[in-house]
Amino acid sequence: MSAHRLPESFGDLEQFAACWALPTENERHSQRLTSTMAELRGFYDAILPRIDAILAYLNDFPLDRLPAEAQALLHLSLSLAEVAPAVELFGQPEVPDGYDSRRIMVVEH
Amino acid sequence: MAAAATNGNHNGQRWHDAYPELGTGPVSIEPYISQEFFDLERERVFRRTWLNVGRVEQVPDSGDFIVKDIAVCRASVIIVRDRDGKIRALHNVCSHRANKVVWESQGSCGAFKCRFHAWSYRLDGKLSSVPDESNFFNLDKEQLGLTPVAVDTWEGFIFINLSPQPAQTLAEYLGEWGEQLRGYPFAENGAVCYEWRTELRCNWKLIKDAFKEAYHVAFLHKRSLRDAYTGGRNPFSHALDFKLYPVHHRWSLGGNPDYQFKPVESVANRFGSFIIISDAKDRPQPAGINPTRAPNWVLDINGIFPNYILDVAESGYFTYHVWPLAVDRSIWEVRAYFPRPINAGQRFAQEFNRIIFRDTIMEDGSTLEQTQTVLASGAKTHFVFQDEELLLRHDNKVLLDFVNRA
Repeated sequence: MSAHRLPESFGDLEQFAACWALPTENERHSQRLTSTMAELRGFYDAILPRIDAILAYLNDFPLDRLPAEAQALLHLSLSLAEVAPAVELFGQPEVPDGYDSRRIMVVEH
Repeated sequence: MAAAATNGNHNGQRWHDAYPELGTGPVSIEPYISQEFFDLERERVFRRTWLNVGRVEQVPDSGDFIVKDIAVCRASVIIVRDRDGKIRALHNVCSHRANKVVWESQGSCGAFKCRFHAWSYRLDGKLSSVPDESNFFNLDKEQLGLTPVAVDTWEGFIFINLSPQPAQTLAEYLGEWGEQLRGYPFAENGAVCYEWRTELRCNWKLIKDAFKEAYHVAFLHKRSLRDAYTGGRNPFSHALDFKLYPVHHRWSLGGNPDYQFKPVESVANRFGSFIIISDAKDRPQPAGINPTRAPNWVLDINGIFPNYILDVAESGYFTYHVWPLAVDRSIWEVRAYFPRPINAGQRFAQEFNRIIFRDTIMEDGSTLEQTQTVLASGAKTHFVFQDEELLLRHDNKVLLDFVNRA
């Protein structure tokens, strides 16, 4: 009975929408920090081969007037930017030996 | 411009050679741990210099305001656009019983009304109404407005000065440094702003020092930025250029032209790049942007004394504010500015760049509190600076000049 959140042509990514189609940096970052590396890699490996198609699809819409399903797809793509450092650079969800990012307040503008 | 590509030495010379007044000796740790020094910084630096408090885009319309608490000066300041469109700064202190008038950090209003007894002030600070006014004694409302604070703008950046009579205008204070940057599209490239804020248990100068040298890049950033900023020909991220002005300074940083993009990075880069290596370098720039016109230029780090850092790249800029709370506690505010994205690809590219940037500064942030915990141990009395740590030495000299000036 669950409604599809992503555009039909990206149905293969639907399984990631609930976890990763998140509208804010705080939510995406928190999802990264509370995921295992296997989960981060699973998401990364699934979306990376599709990112060109995703952005090409989204670029056909005015950015400030995205239909709801396209908006969810954009949020999903922003989560790729969030998890990329964990997968490509750090090999762990958090910045190794880094300042605790939970102490950072994101100020919305 | 070939200097950095070889070994960073400037035509066989050292950067310090051009500034013999700075010396090359060790620099005392005392200003980072001394309460006495901190009290002098409060009176002779923060109460006397022009301090950046934001950009004009934060108060676009009449009645829009932001409030900056400048804890080191024990002050709270309202920055507001008045009915005539003029930006004003006002001490956030009621003329009646000195209550803090505005408690929000930002907003929009037609007048400022104190919660305590409803004294009301116009946007220009004039006292407009006092309940039960006739019960006061010879109340002169003309003399009882909110206390003004000196305010001015440079290229859309708002600066205040808490001295009742600033020794210099903002234009004089920014001087030639400011002139060299005029014309960069700060408004266009700053249409979108992301901000992070945190409170650290360390002296304010440790924070700004962390962003004024690239010697650490090969080590502290070994997992993140190292390969983009170092390479066989420049293993220690030596600078393209340094330029010291009387109190401010600029440092130009190049990237590694042989750097291989990571997978997501290469996707993002097709829609615009910011901190890895700059795009569209054929665009004409003011003299103070990429001053050596290096093809591998990435960004210029500008230090505006005392507590503001403005890192300018081709398609966006980053800023750091460091606000002292106590000798060993500080607020660190970081902002990333970008042009308004025209499509999802640009939005994705900006997100990628700002997240890499955020994670990278988490690496920078890691040392700050650790350093502070041992700074007062007595084990070391001095820092040792190398040639590429020139800006730290310059800041230290400027700071001592201010503090020693009675």
